[in-house]
Amino acid sequence: MNLNIKANKNNTFDAIVVGSGMSGGFAAKELTERGLKVLMIERGHEIKHIEGYDTAMKQPWEIEHRGRTTNLSAEERWANSRFWGLGSEEVVNHLTNDKENPYIEKRPFDWIRAYHTGGKSMHWGRQSYRWNKQDFEANAKEGIGIDWPIRYEDLEPWYTHVEKFVGVSGQKEGLEVLPDGHFLPAMPLFAPEAHFKNKMMERFNRPVTVGRVANLTQPQDIHTSLGRASCQYRSKCQRGCPYGAYYSSLSGAIPAAMRTNRLSVLHDSIVSEVIYDEQKKRATGVRIINQNTMQTEEFFAKIIFLNAGSINTAALMLNSKSNRFPNGFGNDSDQVGRNLMDHQLGSGATAMIDGFEDDYVYGLRPNAMYIPRFRNWGNDKQTAYLRGFGYQGGASREGWSRGVGADGFGADFKQGLTKPGAWTISIGGFGEILPDPNNRIYLDAEKKDKWGIPMIVTDAAFVENDWAMRKDIVASAVEMLETAGFKNVTPYDRPTHMGLGIHDMGTARMGRDPKTSVLNAFNQGRLCGESFEEERFIKLIATNGCYIDILLAIN
Amino acid sequence: MMNRREVIKNVALMLGGAFSAPTLMAMDNWENATKPNGSVTAFSLSETQQKIVAEIAELIIPKTDTVGAKDVGVPAFIEMMLKDCYKTPEHQSFLEGLASMEKVKFLELNTDERRGVLKLLEQETKKMTGKTPPFWRLIKELTLLGYFTSEAGLKASFEYVQIPGKLELIKLKPNQKAYAY
Repeated sequence: MNLNIKANKNNTFDAIVVGSGMSGGFAAKELTERGLKVLMIERGHEIKHIEGYDTAMKQPWEIEHRGRTTNLSAEERWANSRFWGLGSEEVVNHLTNDKENPYIEKRPFDWIRAYHTGGKSMHWGRQSYRWNKQDFEANAKEGIGIDWPIRYEDLEPWYTHVEKFVGVSGQKEGLEVLPDGHFLPAMPLFAPEAHFKNKMMERFNRPVTVGRVANLTQPQDIHTSLGRASCQYRSKCQRGCPYGAYYSSLSGAIPAAMRTNRLSVLHDSIVSEVIYDEQKKRATGVRIINQNTMQTEEFFAKIIFLNAGSINTAALMLNSKSNRFPNGFGNDSDQVGRNLMDHQLGSGATAMIDGFEDDYVYGLRPNAMYIPRFRNWGNDKQTAYLRGFGYQGGASREGWSRGVGADGFGADFKQGLTKPGAWTISIGGFGEILPDPNNRIYLDAEKKDKWGIPMIVTDAAFVENDWAMRKDIVASAVEMLETAGFKNVTPYDRPTHMGLGIHDMGTARMGRDPKTSVLNAFNQGRLCGESFEEERFIKLIATNGCYIDILLAIN
Repeated sequence: MMNRREVIKNVALMLGGAFSAPTLMAMDNWENATKPNGSVTAFSLSETQQKIVAEIAELIIPKTDTVGAKDVGVPAFIEMMLKDCYKTPEHQSFLEGLASMEKVKFLELNTDERRGVLKLLEQETKKMTGKTPPFWRLIKELTLLGYFTSEAGLKASFEYVQIPGKLELIKLKPNQKAYAY
């Protein structure tokens, strides 16, 4: 439903939501369901749920390069293709052309972007965990960054609200470190994973659970009423799900907002500025540039939600200068763009598993197992670093590609590869990164993009705490796989930049003091010495736990 | 021998293929993409080179009671993949391998002799430690990829299930083929 915006003389809505991704979609849903007329503005092109997933039903041989990244994709998607698989023609057209949307890396940052309806909610890994109580308290206790002005208890009802709507499959475990949520039936652990789980509990007292994943294992009315169906276990989620089985803005929030008849969506419209009215002392609207026609236009609302992703949201605020805000909208604290965080990934270990030859699986599980944080938790005290990490990973049987590294060729070799291979396992860590004001994005003083908007500069890197944790991610992975009795345990640790976790967050932190934070406890922009305004921003993260809390981002 | 990259990739796929898998950045792409000057030159094969590629691919995956590499178009696939997805160092490595095959007059050898050459090549390849994949590794990998993901090769080799519809832990039956999805 694209309203003819121009016909609306005032271009005025009750609320404007900038961005249609995970948090923008949810904001639009909640606002429209409460009776507000909402304009959602998406900078990228339109993708329609189901019919826009052009590769979803393609068979292996219909993918010309069989999932490999072509040189052309690697050149055009120079940032996106740093992440494995994102340069593949299965998905590449849904990821941003970095050549046309460049940014400046003062320090390298792997910025993965998907400028289209639904944004990265179409591509996310769907793992959905709640933070625990300590995640909210750690900054205050350890004197890191600033304290969260909210606690787990404040968010608990919202976690449930979001989980019910989204549909999260998982196993209740009763763990303090990984609070249970409102779950659909869990997917099974495979036989060697169940063995691993038992060993870890027996030897380390470390729980292992199946991943909590936003794929519908048993759709409820709240899901089917939006046309969402059960997971078909194809595990081709990254192409977009024609069954709406995993949650995205496209399959969930946007259709929910649409059915209220109160949502208008504008595509191809880059919000270049938040308009601040010096008389009214409030933000009154936004200015957009059509990415194709270069036409500019203004839209107005009492409530403005900025859900453009951590980096673009901060950039938009920094670019919104006025007499009142010479350094960027809401930036009295000089914290906008700072404390950019991610989760480190790319380190862990792999192993071969003897036995379980008779165990096999029908269907592909779009999920794996999860090992919650055990470091600096309970009685564990690390001297080398603060906070901790969790592992994702799992076991699988080798396929034909085991033949690539194996000796042999010819008829028997060919025949042998048609059988399932040995079980293997891999686990990899997601490590928490501490907030650091020197890790930031800012706007280049001179260089502009093709729409005349100042270019974004990334200036962030891992620090000592991160590297020390990373060493332990590898060492502990090796220790756990060896303890489980697996063979040929091999550590891996790839060089990475910040950003590759695709959990970019921070940049507009929430806090108790307007002098040091961008947002108040209600996610509203704050102005030193003035009352709170109505603008709300979603990118509130003041600390980051060791897993992405997409539920929190939605909240 | 464990193909570690493959293990990591399997897990990546379990995690849904795209974002969030920690192991997912597997991994060659990252290195390639961040190489400052991964230069790309035009790549093509002469008719003789194409013949050698076809004969080697067919020796790796011969026609048996099921289709072979040539039947499903692997030779052309290899050339296309090298051209579109690989860069100058791999191109050179591949062409050097073909040059040594021409030197031993590969096309004039009988089948047993050809097999002997490939066995030797396989042993020699194991001793190589350079960063660029050697010829044997490239042609073997692309042959397997092209064959096992082709429609006829995949359907002849595996039990193809396009839409499983359910997830079930099962016990493997004797001689059961692997599923392909």
